[in-house]
Order: sequence, then structure tokens, then C-alpha cells
Amino acid sequence: MSITPLTEDQRDALQEVLNIAMGQAGDSLARILDAFVELSVPRIRIVEVKEVTNTIREMVGNTADVTAVRQAFFDDLRGEAIVVMDENGCRDLADLMGYDDNLDCQAEQELLLDVSNVLVGAILNGVTETLGTSLSYSAPSIMAERCPVDHIIDPRNLSWTHALLLEVNYSLKNRGFKSHLLLLMAEEAIESLRKAVDDFVESI
Amino acid sequence: MTMQLNSAPLLDFIVGKINVGVFVINRDMDIVLWNHFMETYSGLKADDAVGTNVFDQFPELPRRWLERKINSVFVLKNFAFTSWEQRPYLFKFPHNRPVTGGVDCMRQNCTFLPVRNEAGDVEHVCVTLLDVTDTSIYQSMMKDALRRLADASNRDGLTGIYNRRFLETSLDKEFSRVRRYGGTLSFILLDIDFFKKVNDNLGHLAGDEVLRRAAEIFSHTIRDSDTLGRYGGEEFAVILPQTELDGAVILAERLRQNIEEAEILYDKNPIPVTISLGVTQLSDDVAAYEQLINDADIALYQSKENGRNKVTAFKPSV
Repeated sequence: MSITPLTEDQRDALQEVLNIAMGQAGDSLARILDAFVELSVPRIRIVEVKEVTNTIREMVGNTADVTAVRQAFFDDLRGEAIVVMDENGCRDLADLMGYDDNLDCQAEQELLLDVSNVLVGAILNGVTETLGTSLSYSAPSIMAERCPVDHIIDPRNLSWTHALLLEVNYSLKNRGFKSHLLLLMAEEAIESLRKAVDDFVESI
Repeated sequence: MTMQLNSAPLLDFIVGKINVGVFVINRDMDIVLWNHFMETYSGLKADDAVGTNVFDQFPELPRRWLERKINSVFVLKNFAFTSWEQRPYLFKFPHNRPVTGGVDCMRQNCTFLPVRNEAGDVEHVCVTLLDVTDTSIYQSMMKDALRRLADASNRDGLTGIYNRRFLETSLDKEFSRVRRYGGTLSFILLDIDFFKKVNDNLGHLAGDEVLRRAAEIFSHTIRDSDTLGRYGGEEFAVILPQTELDGAVILAERLRQNIEEAEILYDKNPIPVTISLGVTQLSDDVAAYEQLINDADIALYQSKENGRNKVTAFKPSV
């Protein structure tokens, strides 16, 4: 399936929406975590399915093994969010999220899910509030644990050919924590987003 | 005929009676809504619950964690979730498989939903609680089956000890571990003497019994940290982590003696069984785990050459 790329205006508008969302997300994360969260300027691009693994590797870098959590969002916008972080990052967040020092395996997984949920929700709520759309979320689940970056997604098992990829990087000031957030929306979902962006531009 | 329904009482009815826990709390953690499911399983009536603090009613709740979680919903206006796989339950409720379940209490998946007022502010959090006890039981059954399957694929069908595939994987791992972190490792390869004669003279069932009994005696002789496996045919092997050659030779000698002294019966007739063994220790010039097997095999061959029922330690030829 071929897709119509975003026009320059649509891309600019989306970038602006994301920038606003990032500001709100940084603010609310700081209140939750009592720590200053730095967020990168979001990047928007269309990826083909065959290059998705390469794209993720480029974003995350060829670091040690990573852990990835996925979460679906649906309603006016539809897609999946993937949060990728390395092991040091996970530990750093434990005390910030109200967990005890000695994490067993289950507590560590729960922490990962909690943090991912907070990161995803912070951004997407910002987006939906700005666009005036409504959104629901599925429970997050762990899609890969301590595995090489290349193993997060197997392109052979995917049904889409093109997806819109929104990429944001998070880091915590004075701590090692870094994580990468990917929002992927495939094919028809791109049209819904395009429509939401167009409506937003018209309304201002 | 169509009927116009006033949807508000209908929705009240559904929320009240649905077989899902639904409750709502405000910023002070006071209960605002408590549905029938919550009443049934907690024993706390809605009339008694509404207006009281959820932590006063349920002091066993993990307060610090839960407050933080609910607070994140207020602040971020965000959904939040808990899954039984990480946190088996929020409330300790009985479940509906008290007889066939095998779990102590209801497994729960919870969703925390921000309830926005007209201004878009979140003053309440709605929590839904799903009984996933059945799912958890099926999943633990599946995990158990997979675990047994994995174990079966590592074992030799006849003797029940590890098979060659598992032995080689373990030896490879142990070899890499020593190379990375130091320490040492020894390896024993052994073979039942004149096993072909047992098969030829007494039949394959007798041969099988000898293999089974020998494996049993070996597994009683080795230490907990050693790994015993059937390497193939009448050949067996033992991996001895953190063991010097001297120690490995002592264990090999004990294996030899125990087999020689054991009474292995087939059809009430004793079958005399002896074994020949080759022992080797990992040295700096061993490049791969396969070489250890090869060295032990050379030593084993010497035991055979020197009259069988013997232990030989591998000596690298200069």
C-alpha cells in the first residue's frame, strides 16, 4: 500500500503540536518524578517496514542489550508506542517511582511498565489535548527483555509496509537514565492523524 | 416496536452489576463509587464504603506505591495499569476456583482511568478490576508444560540423565565461563567395557538394563555441582566445574570402583560390568570445548589399551 506523504504544512503543524506536547510532558513528568526531565526535539518521519530495524538501531545506538515495552493507543488516533531503554536506565528510575531498593524480577518489570506508561501517556496526552482528540490506552506489556536492539521488531512478521514514526528521547538530569520513545502509526492511521492535524490547523 | 430508554439508569445498572470490579476515588483517596462486584468480594457494602478512605478500609493495600500510582493519574491525567503477572492482586479477594484453582486468591488486572470534569480537570480516578484468575492458571499450566518440554529435550530417554546435546551446551558454557572469569574445569569421558558382548550374548534388554543401572550408579557417585550425561551408545561423560585434575581422577576412580562393586542384575542373574575412563583438565592451550572431549577420548583409549577397568589422566604430548 502506498501512502501520501505529509505535506510540508502538515509536517510543520505536527511538529508544532509535538513541541507543545513535549513541554507539557516535561512539566508533568518533573512533578511525578521530582526530577528534571530533558526531552529531545521530536523527529517525524515515514519509515518503510524493511528499514524499521535499521531506523531503531540508528536511534538507540549500538548499545548493550535493551528492554522494550509496547503499548497500544486507540480511538481518534491509532498506533503503538514503544519505549526502549537500557538496563542502567531502569535502575535509575526505581526510587523515583516509589519502589524499594531491592527489586525482584517482578517488581523490576512492573517498574518498567509503569515508567513506560508514564512516558507514553505524558506525550500522547499532550498531543490529544492540543489536537482536541480523544485517546484510550491498552495495558503496556514487555516485548523484549535484555536483548539486542535488532531483536525488538521482526520485520517479517509485520502486516504494514509504511508507518509514521515519531521519535522522542528522554533523559534525566544528573542521572544516567535515557530512554527512547517511538510512536508508530501504520497506513490508515496516518490518514486519521493527517485529518486531526488539518482540523487543528483550521481551528486556529 | 422500539422503546426509548433513559440511558442513565441503564448505565447505573450496568456499572453496578457488571462482573468487573469498578470503584471511584477522589483526591483524598476517599471512595466515591463502589459497585456490586467490589461489595461481593470485599464484603464491604457500598453504603459503608462511600465517603471513607480506601486505605482506612483496606490497610493491607501497598499504600506508598498505590498512592504514587493514583497520584500519577491525577497529575498526568493519564491511564495507569497493573497486571497480575507483576502484581498478582490489588485487593486480596477470594476467587471462583476454590477447588480446582491452586492459587490463593483472585488474580487481578487493574486499569486506572482519569475522570475529567467539564473543565478538563481530573478530580476522580475510576479503577476497574478484572478477575484474571483463569488466565493466570492457564498460563502457569502452559509455563509448566513448556518447562517440562524443555527438560525432556535435554534428557536421554532410556536413562533419564542429560543427553549429548545438553552436555555439549553445558561444557561450552562452562568453558566460556572459565575463559572469561578464570578458575578451572575437568572433564571425564567413560565407556562400558565389552558392552557389545552384553548385547550379543544376553540381548538388548539386558544391555538397556546395564545402561540404566550404570547411569543410576554414576548419578549417585557424582557431586551436586557435576553434570552427568549419556554421550552416546555406551559412552557417558561428566563435567566437573572448578575441579583440578587430581580431584577429577579421584572421582573417576570412585566411579570405576562403584560400578565394579555394584551388583547389576538381569533376570536375576548378575552381569559383571566394568568401565574405562579418560580424565582431562582444561589447560591454557585448549582452544575450544571440543578439544576437551578429544583429550578425554585419547585418555579413555589408553585405558582401553592398558587392559580396561582403568582410569587414565590425559597428558599432553610434548
